[in-house]
Amino acid sequence: MGRAVSLGCVFLLSLGLVAPAPLDAQTKDETIVYALQGDLPNWDPPNSVLRESIILGYNVFDHLATRDLKTGRVIPSLATSWKALDDTTWEVKLRTDVKFHDGQKFAARDVKATFDRVLDEKNKLTARGNHAKIKSIEVVDDHTVRFRTDGPYPLFVERLTAQVMQSEKVIREKGHEWMQENPVGTGPYKLVRWTKKQEHLLVRNDDYWGPKPAFKYVRVRIIPETATQIAELISGGVDVIKAVPPDPMDVFNKSGVARTSTSPILRTAFLQLDQAARSGPNPFTDRRVRQAANLAVDMDAVIKHVLNGLGDRTATGVNPMAFGYDSNLKPYKQDVERAKKLLAEAGYPNGIDIRFRTGPAIVEPGLRQTSDAVVADLAKAGIRTQQNYIGEIGPYVTQVKEGKAGPMFEWSWGYYSVFDADAILYDVFRCGEAYSYYCNKALDDLIHTGRSTLDAKKRTEIYLKAQRLHFEDAAYLYKWGLRGVWGVSNRVDYEAPRDEIDRMFAAKPRKK
Amino acid sequence: MRQYIVRQLVQLVVVVLGISILSFAILHVIGDPVLLLLPQNAGKDEFERYRKLLGLDQPLVVQYWKFASSAVQGDFGKSWYADIPAFGLVLERMPPTIYLTLAGLLVALLIALPLGILSALKRHSFVDNLCTVLAVGGQAMPIFWLGIMLILVFAVRFRALPASGYGTWQHFVMPAFTLGAFLAPITMRLVRSGVIEVMNMEYIKTARAKGVGERMVVIKHAFRNACIPVITVLGIQFGQLLGGAIVTETVFAWPGVATLTVESIRNQDFPVVQCAVVLLALIIVLVNLVVDLIVGLIDPRIRVGA
Repeated sequence: MGRAVSLGCVFLLSLGLVAPAPLDAQTKDETIVYALQGDLPNWDPPNSVLRESIILGYNVFDHLATRDLKTGRVIPSLATSWKALDDTTWEVKLRTDVKFHDGQKFAARDVKATFDRVLDEKNKLTARGNHAKIKSIEVVDDHTVRFRTDGPYPLFVERLTAQVMQSEKVIREKGHEWMQENPVGTGPYKLVRWTKKQEHLLVRNDDYWGPKPAFKYVRVRIIPETATQIAELISGGVDVIKAVPPDPMDVFNKSGVARTSTSPILRTAFLQLDQAARSGPNPFTDRRVRQAANLAVDMDAVIKHVLNGLGDRTATGVNPMAFGYDSNLKPYKQDVERAKKLLAEAGYPNGIDIRFRTGPAIVEPGLRQTSDAVVADLAKAGIRTQQNYIGEIGPYVTQVKEGKAGPMFEWSWGYYSVFDADAILYDVFRCGEAYSYYCNKALDDLIHTGRSTLDAKKRTEIYLKAQRLHFEDAAYLYKWGLRGVWGVSNRVDYEAPRDEIDRMFAAKPRKK
Repeated sequence: MRQYIVRQLVQLVVVVLGISILSFAILHVIGDPVLLLLPQNAGKDEFERYRKLLGLDQPLVVQYWKFASSAVQGDFGKSWYADIPAFGLVLERMPPTIYLTLAGLLVALLIALPLGILSALKRHSFVDNLCTVLAVGGQAMPIFWLGIMLILVFAVRFRALPASGYGTWQHFVMPAFTLGAFLAPITMRLVRSGVIEVMNMEYIKTARAKGVGERMVVIKHAFRNACIPVITVLGIQFGQLLGGAIVTETVFAWPGVATLTVESIRNQDFPVVQCAVVLLALIIVLVNLVVDLIVGLIDPRIRVGA
């Protein structure tokens, strides 16, 4: 027995030894704590596709342009202005008062080095796809750069918000490996310490060129379980959490220590109908059947009663916040009788039986519940579904890409944070695209013309036409634009961001 | 004895090999990781390029051979997400999980031993029945539910303990208890039946007849012998305990190897998953080997081929 006791003592002692040293002396008042579901793979934003990298990247790095969260418009950041010199040349002017965290001044050569690094295939950076339209970058003087694009590139300015500026000196002298763990940005915060899968500690950059953040420290904690995040928020362990499911909203608002903040986000949800017959012949190749599906469901009621109003009905897949959105187009209204009639006209007087593929609710809150409601409505009109659930997102996406997900399946699109109709039309409605189960030559032509001009007015007209075509052809079964729910502690002032990029430098202590 | 150990070691190799093949096959069946690695709007050629880069275009057998031959040299490849060696990543996460597992084991024993012995000595009494009810309840309780309930009570309601995280002894309390509560019931039942069985043995009667005090009888004679099945089962349970650690770590945001594995499965980061699975399998098999040896030391009858 004596041995067991001494072993126990050794064990307890070793626990003390392994515990990491306490955090730097920071008072609670100076610190804001933010929770993420998973950790970053690295601190080199162009080398990651994860949302977490985008978010933390925004706090430590700057971009040439950023988004005004009030108006949704793209506004200058490290760039002071931009203009198109011709259809394939953009000139960008830069700020002169910006320094990197290592003291180096930010200049045109850094912009060139950043984009050259991303565009070089050899570097295998995942951000390359986002900027592949850029052909070359030229330094005009210390604070002016010119971009040449491969054809007209109307999304150029939008995409400036999606590339962090890194230092030419760091790229040249320190290199790729080093950059994975050591961010040298120009942003409002600097990284102090990264304990992998556990925590990041950021400290305010006192040399920042813009408005200084109110909180001196940001602690980013990795908490995978939503229930635990909620408990931490209510017990004061964290201040901001995102992606709160609809159910516990009441818990926050009644807790007296935290509240919810919601915002429409740039993601639209719909059921794809296999008009292109990728998964084989099916009733949805007939327009009347697709229209019947749209007419069968009382989508407004689903939003109101199942989603607690957390959705903005859309007439097509285009999100209300995207450039080119047609606010005059009215969504289908439920009309079961007409739906039945259309089905009969299409040759299905007794209705149809359809496989309906669903997946895990990773990005769509309440997916299972809303899905059940939609299915019940469809059945009323004679569209009977056999649900077929795939529980892992990887295999689910594979099925979609390989054309095996039809004839009907759940889908949503996050636009890759590009607030433009093109960002959904091109990938999800064009003939032959991996995620598209729709093919219409007329629509394809519209999408391509929209891409090949920089004239905003012309582009708007094109997208209005495209949406009308979409709607009349009932390309898919349209649902809604999503709304995101954040949980915020009552000790801070913070609003849910519409682009889902949390900016801790925008948070302020709440006045008591 | 040596022969016995050699045989066990050969078994160990076979088991680990089997597990690595199985997990490799399962991982490659669940889908294409490149789809998750690249942006949604990446082109077809981009996907092909990446697939080639990661060697996913080669036949499965070739892929496995490449993996296995470098794995035996301690090279499990680089994490596709973090771009650093998987082995280091897993190793770094190992200590928190091992500490948590040991702490859970400790809690389980602290609950199970006294209650088990008590139940055995006071068979069919109120205490015994209460322990039975607790054990059945404990076994029926989902581990994540217990974790969340503890958080609600001790972190949210009383604010006595941190809800999640790692670093101080306070962080250990709830996860260790959650894990311990998961293991305690079965251990307690085993201790109880072990002690009951032993108490009826001739040598106990002999000891009593010799005038040994009741306390000494229980501790020195009964408990020692009742321990043998308990130790064996604890060895087997160790694997389950690591399984329980997955849930516990997720609930309490514990930065251990279990969380890493779950996250890597979600990301389809094959090298990390492979490395974690193989190392965990190795640990479980080794623990079982050690348990066998300990039992052999305690109980001379089991010493095989000595």
